[in-house]
Amino acid sequence: MTRLAWWLVRAQFLSRRTATALSMLAIALGVALGYAIHLINAAALADFSQAMQGIQGEPDAVIVARDSAGHVPHALIDEVARDEAVALVAPVIETRVRLGREANAARLIGIDLFSAAVLMPALLPREGGAGSGGLFDGGLYASQALLESTGLRVPEGTQSAGADTTAIRGESRWETRIAGDLPAVAATERVLVADIAWVQARFGPRQGVSELRVRLMPGVRAEAWRAAWAKRLPPGLDLRAAADNAARISNISRAYRVNLNVLALVALLTGAFLVFATQLTAVAQRSTQFALLGVLGLPPRMRLLQVLFEGLAIGLPGSAIGLALGYALAAAFTRVMGGDLGGGFFVAGTPTVVPEALPALGFFLLGCGASLMGALYPAWLNRVQPLAQALKTGFAQGPADSIGHRAMIRRIALPAIIASIPLLTALPAIDGLPLAGYAAIAMVLVVGIAAAPLATRVAFGAAAKTDLAAPLRIAVQNVIQAPLMAQVAASGLIVSFALTVSMVTMVASFRTALDQWLDAVLPAPHYMRSKGLPLPAELLAALDLPDAPFARVERMATGSLSLDSRRPPAALLVREIDRADPGTRLPFTGPVLAARDGAVTVWVSEALQEMQGLGAGQTLRLPLLGREIEVVVGGVWRDYARQFGAVVMAAEDYRALGGRFEATDLALWPRAGAEEAARRWLAGQAARHGVESVPSDEIRRISLSIFDQSFAVTHALEAAAMLIGLFGLAVTLAASVWLRARELATLAALGFSRAMLARAVVFEGALIALIGLTLGLVSGLAVGAILTEVVNPQAFHWRMPLRVPWAQVVPIALATLVAGMLASRFAARQATRLPAAQVLAGAQ
Amino acid sequence: MLSVTGLTKRHPGASRALFNALRFAVGAGEVVALVGESGVGKSTLLNCIAGLEDADAGEIRIGPDALDMHRLDEAARASLRAARIGFVFQAFHVLPTLSVAQNIAVPLLLNRVPSTEHAPRIEALLRRVGLDGFGPRWPASLSGGELQRVAIARALVHRPALILADEPTGNLDPRIAGEVLSLLLEQVREEHAGALIVTHSRHIAECCDRILELSPEGLR
Repeated sequence: MTRLAWWLVRAQFLSRRTATALSMLAIALGVALGYAIHLINAAALADFSQAMQGIQGEPDAVIVARDSAGHVPHALIDEVARDEAVALVAPVIETRVRLGREANAARLIGIDLFSAAVLMPALLPREGGAGSGGLFDGGLYASQALLESTGLRVPEGTQSAGADTTAIRGESRWETRIAGDLPAVAATERVLVADIAWVQARFGPRQGVSELRVRLMPGVRAEAWRAAWAKRLPPGLDLRAAADNAARISNISRAYRVNLNVLALVALLTGAFLVFATQLTAVAQRSTQFALLGVLGLPPRMRLLQVLFEGLAIGLPGSAIGLALGYALAAAFTRVMGGDLGGGFFVAGTPTVVPEALPALGFFLLGCGASLMGALYPAWLNRVQPLAQALKTGFAQGPADSIGHRAMIRRIALPAIIASIPLLTALPAIDGLPLAGYAAIAMVLVVGIAAAPLATRVAFGAAAKTDLAAPLRIAVQNVIQAPLMAQVAASGLIVSFALTVSMVTMVASFRTALDQWLDAVLPAPHYMRSKGLPLPAELLAALDLPDAPFARVERMATGSLSLDSRRPPAALLVREIDRADPGTRLPFTGPVLAARDGAVTVWVSEALQEMQGLGAGQTLRLPLLGREIEVVVGGVWRDYARQFGAVVMAAEDYRALGGRFEATDLALWPRAGAEEAARRWLAGQAARHGVESVPSDEIRRISLSIFDQSFAVTHALEAAAMLIGLFGLAVTLAASVWLRARELATLAALGFSRAMLARAVVFEGALIALIGLTLGLVSGLAVGAILTEVVNPQAFHWRMPLRVPWAQVVPIALATLVAGMLASRFAARQATRLPAAQVLAGAQ
Repeated sequence: MLSVTGLTKRHPGASRALFNALRFAVGAGEVVALVGESGVGKSTLLNCIAGLEDADAGEIRIGPDALDMHRLDEAARASLRAARIGFVFQAFHVLPTLSVAQNIAVPLLLNRVPSTEHAPRIEALLRRVGLDGFGPRWPASLSGGELQRVAIARALVHRPALILADEPTGNLDPRIAGEVLSLLLEQVREEHAGALIVTHSRHIAECCDRILELSPEGLR
């Protein structure tokens, strides 16, 4: 029996090489994409965790300030150190500095050598490598990445001195020298290490440290200790496990990863569809052969299993090829692009991709499963073919007893699915993922495909009753009378065109919204920033001089604050902004409340609105300046730059609360007629202080170009989807022509010329393409709306108004219609080559 | 080899039965012709005997242990067909994607005959039907007469108890038809199988051991 199955598979593959190879390729592509995404992300996460572990060490607990201006007070350090359950405390001060005129900032970590030797050995300098000016003498130790990028040299032997350098942060400068390197720090990390006392003396904070890392006594349950201490800590501090950071990074990249995996699943789904179209047409074409085998004694179960086996024979090699391809893709990607998949979460380093057996097995099974899923319905149809009838007249599109089931599906299942779509879109994200939104998209596609027979009857039923030219009449009748084949042929186009329309709609909506948003957030002609570091005091002082060519300068200081310890911190933007009229600088999405005297007003971004359930008028306790401060939400503004949320506060409020306003970003309006002088002034200052100066139109150009690059992959997916849809149309139409060979031969005998037969088939293709495109358009608009209104806000916290780019959609539809007619010519040629006399004699 | 008792078939919605309480038998080595006008139910009777259509009543017993086809489920019917029945069709129905030898081997595979026996049996049968050396050839290269010989070899290769033939020479010219018929009768008798041949041809019917005529009134 196995031999017979193998003979049939081989014969099927040999006779349908192109269709089989394309189905296999589509499955391979889906598996490859999914596996590659997994491998790249796993490698990046492992790389990140390793680097983080090296710097953070392996403490049992980390006590950290919830906002960037906060600190862990000395008194608390003493209190924790006195706890009998604590074996060791390691205070750490971390800040960011620039070395000389080096444009990129580096992390400066101040450590206590003795506790670091136990808890963070990777931060220790090379033994015996220190020249004059060691750790306790105020020397700096630099990681390899930093040494390479700055060109600074380390001392050779104990007698020679390292390079002199200046560590700068805002107004604070530290003239020092490179005393050695850090051999155990990951190759990608730009890190400086110094003694904690020197760092504190130069950059603060005076009253405490940035972090306290704690090692507990053996036998102490770390979780219980953390829970107990979390209750005792003042509100401005957080207590975490060391592993939380890696978990947070994994969590923040998850939505982006899941979205990419959904794209991989779409590729796999198109693979399943190709298997479906290939197997259905194969079953239809071989219905007489299968009927004969049934008559000869092949049991019904085996007829079903044979088609599933053929599906599996596509899925097995397809999945295996996909795994190899996925690994190669991941290895090549990380080599060229690093470990970041485009979400901006892992921008540094070239992680090593390691093949993983269990995920590989998972993706392999997924590929085989998709292939089996595609073969399932054709297999069932093959199982229930009435043998005697199939032997005599060929493929029956559905056995008589299944008509009742189909009616039931139409009457009950379809309305239920349609009703479920708005319900699914109304559901919130599950664990931060828009799973219900994805399910709603799947339902829309199911409804689109299932509606094809009804749409066909409605659209062409009336046309069938009118006077039509003979070829067109034949085409209309065939489309109406052969709903299953028409549905299969149209379904590829429905799905592919729906995906294309939805992607085009989502991207266009997003791009338009981004364009408008850039207009709102870039009111000044020039911007200057120093990548999160306070701008040099000298530069700020120069702006106040009378010869500075600016009519207006607005300052902003960036920091961070943690509202939810499971998520990355939100950005704190302290701005010189008109408290009474913040709408001139922030693109609000709803009502803006007037700032009340005596109350601190903040304006939160949409991401925080989504994540924290915030709205205008609500009060909120913000971790600020080492304590919790009650603030009023004055409004919600749109922000496409910071996915994990941002809080804007007026500089005067921040100062009033005791904060030190150290500007990191400047918005500059040149004086009228002094534009050229302003440009020269900015270029000079930027070169002198190693800060960035960019005109707003350049920021806009770069932002839109990054956006276009990020979404370039979607155009490739759209093209691939359309090609698959057209291929499905051509294959199914060709099979349909083959099945109707006798009917076409009869028409030829009755006087249809070859040209008329060809026209009839091309018309049929056009009618099916029309139905496919119409339903695809409707489904695509619905999917686009779900992507824009549900998936994007839930996964990435980005909201945007829906905009259908008809100027793109209509030409794509027309081009697809023409391509569909051209694809139909392939089937039409087959129709005109039929040896009519032979077919009519029944000897084909 | 075949015993039919009280066989009744009524098409859904039809006012009268297509055939009613049919009773006949076909012995080992006996070739019986089934004749009758078009639409009288000859092919339906053949389908009922083969278990391809359900009868409304009656018994159909095939082979030495006389299993009742009518009472079996679909899978058991398929298994009984594979083991006990050989088919020859008017339209040959030779699988175009399998070679001649592979076509003939299909019933052996379905009956799980050890593969070592396949080649000798197939070669012997090909010699007997006059197609010596045709094993590796593909059906597309064969004439109608040759295709029907392949079908006859396939019908006999697993040594069935009963051969069912539906207009086996209907697509052949008279000279080839005569040759194929002689071959079929000779092989059936040699194998001691029973055969029921549906035909419109008086000449073919007269070559058989017995003629059954099906009419709306029943069998004569």
